[in-house]
Amino acid sequence: MGKKSKTSRKGKKAWRANISTEDIEDFFEKTTKDALSGGNLSGAPSEDLFHVDKSHDLPVRRKIEKHRERVLRVDSILKKNPFVQLVPSSKPKLKKSKKTIVIEEKTPKQVQKNVGDDSVMVDLWGDDVKGEDESNPRKIFKKPSIIPAVEIEHPGCSYNPTTESHQDMLAEAVAQEMQKVYKTELGPAPVPLTIEGDSLSEDERYFLDVDNFGEGEDNVLKKNPFVQLVPSSKPNLKTIVIEDKTPRQAQKSVGDDSVMVDLLGDDSKEDLRYFLEVGNVGEGEDNEDVENEVSEAGNIFARKTKRVTRVELNKRCRQKALRKKVTKEKAKEKILNEIDSLPNILEEIAREDEDKQNKHLRRVIAKEEVLKIRPPRLGKYKFEAPPVQVLLTEEMTGSLRKLKACCTLARDRFKSLEKRGILVPSKQIRRF
Amino acid sequence: MPKHYRPAGKKKEGNAARYMTRSQALKHLQVNLNLFRRLCIVKGIFPREPKKKVKGNHHTYYHVKDIAFLMHEPLLEKFREIKTYQKKVKKAKAKKNEELARLLLTRQPTYKLDRLIRERYPTFIDALRDLDDCLTMVHLFAVLPASDRENLEVKRVHNCRRLTHEWQAYISRCHALRKVFVSVKGIYYQAELEGQKITWLTPHAIQQVFTNDVDFGVLLTFLEFYETLLAFINFKLYHSLNVKYPPILDSRLEALAADLYALSRYIDASSRGMAVEPKVDASSSSQSNDREESELRLAQLQHQLPSSEPGALMHLVADNNKEVEEDEETRVCKSLFKDLKFFLSREVPRESLLFVLPAFGGMVSWEGEGAPFKEDDESITHHIIDKPSAGHVYLSRVYVQPQWIYDCVNARIILPTEKYLVGRIPPPHLSPFVDNEAEGYVPDYAETIKRLQAAARNEVLPLPGVGKEDLEDPQNLLYAGVMSRAEEAEAAKNKKKMAAQEKQYHEELKMEITASKDVVAPMVTEDEESVPDAMQIAQENADMSTVLMSRKKRKLYEAMKIGQKKKKASVELIEQRKKKLNDAQS
Repeated sequence: MGKKSKTSRKGKKAWRANISTEDIEDFFEKTTKDALSGGNLSGAPSEDLFHVDKSHDLPVRRKIEKHRERVLRVDSILKKNPFVQLVPSSKPKLKKSKKTIVIEEKTPKQVQKNVGDDSVMVDLWGDDVKGEDESNPRKIFKKPSIIPAVEIEHPGCSYNPTTESHQDMLAEAVAQEMQKVYKTELGPAPVPLTIEGDSLSEDERYFLDVDNFGEGEDNVLKKNPFVQLVPSSKPNLKTIVIEDKTPRQAQKSVGDDSVMVDLLGDDSKEDLRYFLEVGNVGEGEDNEDVENEVSEAGNIFARKTKRVTRVELNKRCRQKALRKKVTKEKAKEKILNEIDSLPNILEEIAREDEDKQNKHLRRVIAKEEVLKIRPPRLGKYKFEAPPVQVLLTEEMTGSLRKLKACCTLARDRFKSLEKRGILVPSKQIRRF
Repeated sequence: MPKHYRPAGKKKEGNAARYMTRSQALKHLQVNLNLFRRLCIVKGIFPREPKKKVKGNHHTYYHVKDIAFLMHEPLLEKFREIKTYQKKVKKAKAKKNEELARLLLTRQPTYKLDRLIRERYPTFIDALRDLDDCLTMVHLFAVLPASDRENLEVKRVHNCRRLTHEWQAYISRCHALRKVFVSVKGIYYQAELEGQKITWLTPHAIQQVFTNDVDFGVLLTFLEFYETLLAFINFKLYHSLNVKYPPILDSRLEALAADLYALSRYIDASSRGMAVEPKVDASSSSQSNDREESELRLAQLQHQLPSSEPGALMHLVADNNKEVEEDEETRVCKSLFKDLKFFLSREVPRESLLFVLPAFGGMVSWEGEGAPFKEDDESITHHIIDKPSAGHVYLSRVYVQPQWIYDCVNARIILPTEKYLVGRIPPPHLSPFVDNEAEGYVPDYAETIKRLQAAARNEVLPLPGVGKEDLEDPQNLLYAGVMSRAEEAEAAKNKKKMAAQEKQYHEELKMEITASKDVVAPMVTEDEESVPDAMQIAQENADMSTVLMSRKKRKLYEAMKIGQKKKKASVELIEQRKKKLNDAQS
């Protein structure tokens, strides 16, 4: 928008008009001004124009700082009362003191590079100052879960347990197994990958084809007037085509007879074509009916509705007004009823609120309880608890030497990590 | 003026702005998944569960600040460096330049996790709190076989073993072990250090197996971090004992896989010889000379040492070192197996017992070279054996099963050995981590142990002026659990019975005097009537107190009663089962 439009420079007139002489004119103006006012600015020495400001004025404050210093109107009103203690609602940000000291201290603690020299180990917590890092809460690491790292098992898992605790643990182990069994039994049947079926021979396929044109299925199809059974050229495929009657339209004339004739005429032309009658259309019916029926048959004709008389219109208006009145009265009555039963409504609302609160509380507590047992859902797969390591009754010998110990302790550690939410449970099959 | 605008797709606030999925995090940090996993493990960053999962339930969400924290981690740069370095090696190998590849491998950049440990555990107590998982992991890897497939080297396994032995030696020396529980999974130990209870699990001496559903790469990363942590903790602990770390052990003992014994001797020796060492250090200049001399010194000292007598050495150590503060429990634990000598047979879990017995003041030896005393030593008091029948039996010693030691340790008294003798099935091994009173159900053997403890306490601390009955009464109360209304009623009933019986006695006397026998019959009925009376009185008392309470308190009281009833029902169920089992057996 600000650019000068480039006009053409062709022609004498154009040439004269399009060259701007602004710069020459500016120069002349400037020199005359300088001459009148007493000299060129650029020629003047700098001491005349500038001087160093040694006064100690307040520096230009940043907009944000100025904004922060503004007191709220509320606060200013409160300030007027000497007995009120101000609690400023807008708090300026506290500068976080950078702990450069900590970083410097850390460097002498670095163990030397030579790996072989193990004797150069430093006491990492040697000059431990309490509360050093409290101001930097990022460094205090929270535990991801309240579940302890090493969970002690139930006394029934002892290598020589008392009978009662052993029974308890066995019951738990059995319950775990039965849950799995029930899940597979009671759940929906899994979709099979392959279904057993016999392959059809070609002869049988032909028979199937023929079957379609037999008596059984026909009757059902015949009832639907728009269905036309067409065998296609290929013997394998069967198509049931619902044709619209558009090809018929071209041949259609106003009278019904001709329609019938045409339809019938088509029929006679082709072999193996079952054509179903549209329906008995008598000649004595109204024009309108015929036209409606014909339009039902799918033709798109301009629909001529009946002419609405004045009587009909008035009747409609009256009925509409009546209906409006009735609904209004009903609404009014409803509101009156509600006003009457206001205390009931209030009671109901109070009850509902209480119910909601209880529900909410129960849900929160339930969630907390669940967190003590398993981790929250962290990824695609759910956490599956490891099986309980308990001795079977026949394995209980009471002897430490003959103990059939657990040889997959790595799995216990891994599951513990998953349970605490440090690792995300992942695909079941890990390696082959 | 540039307008401050938000990049397309970046949310301003809410859960969408605070949490990002794992793939987003990967893109942000420009790392691949393995590296990201390692970083998260080593830095202690874990995924969170936001209230609203913006990208779907099947993603893992991390906090944006956690990822920003990761981004400023210098270890990230180090990892990238290592990766590019490995590319160089691979290139050299592909160009068939073996010489260069070898050269490069020797100068590979390494990283250290010390700074991270300091960051994650600013104080020593924090590190102690997290020691459970660390110890269990290191103990596990100390017994795993080395495997190429999992990238587990032999050196690493040996390192883990060494660390576990050092830790056990320290705990033994300081008598910090409190509870032991032998379960199917392994042996649980609990020690107390600086007020922190540390629990860890050690596997049994059985060959561990690599399963398919465990990602060992992840476990190895954890192990790396935990190894460093445990090394530093050991250093600090040994430092507090004024013992030099890492310890230089007698190589002969090491070769015989008697590390723990060697370590304990080292600790005792070095703490005794600490006064002598500084002179040696000052004299020689070069470090290697230093080490040789100190090694020589140590070896001399160790040979001078009498064979494993921690009891005797304790006094010497106490003189030289700063006074190790001992609280009540440590003293009890230290003197549990005092003056007892144990000998371990071959089939017994040696490592575990070698740890437990010195931790409670006992002296141990075993079959094999380098052991402090031999099998035919006269002064052996107990021979731990696990065979169905002992071979050659010495009469001066008791042959017990290893469970006896564990049960003694848990009960803190020396239990009678009859039930644990060779060839018998010992009584059930109870878990010391279960608070029997809280459960409400006390197994039989636990009661036996309690009585023994009470008896031991009686003998040890004779209370002047207080009879034995008073000591029994609180015990009785403990057994009974909570005093319930039924018990009150019973007590009242008993009282009534006593009164009635007294009355009857008087009546009978009168009878004899008057020689009439009709008085007997009404007595009986009176007795029956008085019994429901007692119940009624108890009930009335209860009603009075409930009426006086406010509704809130009453509801609380009723809720408490319901809880108690449930507990009682479960206890009754257990007792019924026991009865049934007993009947079935007899």
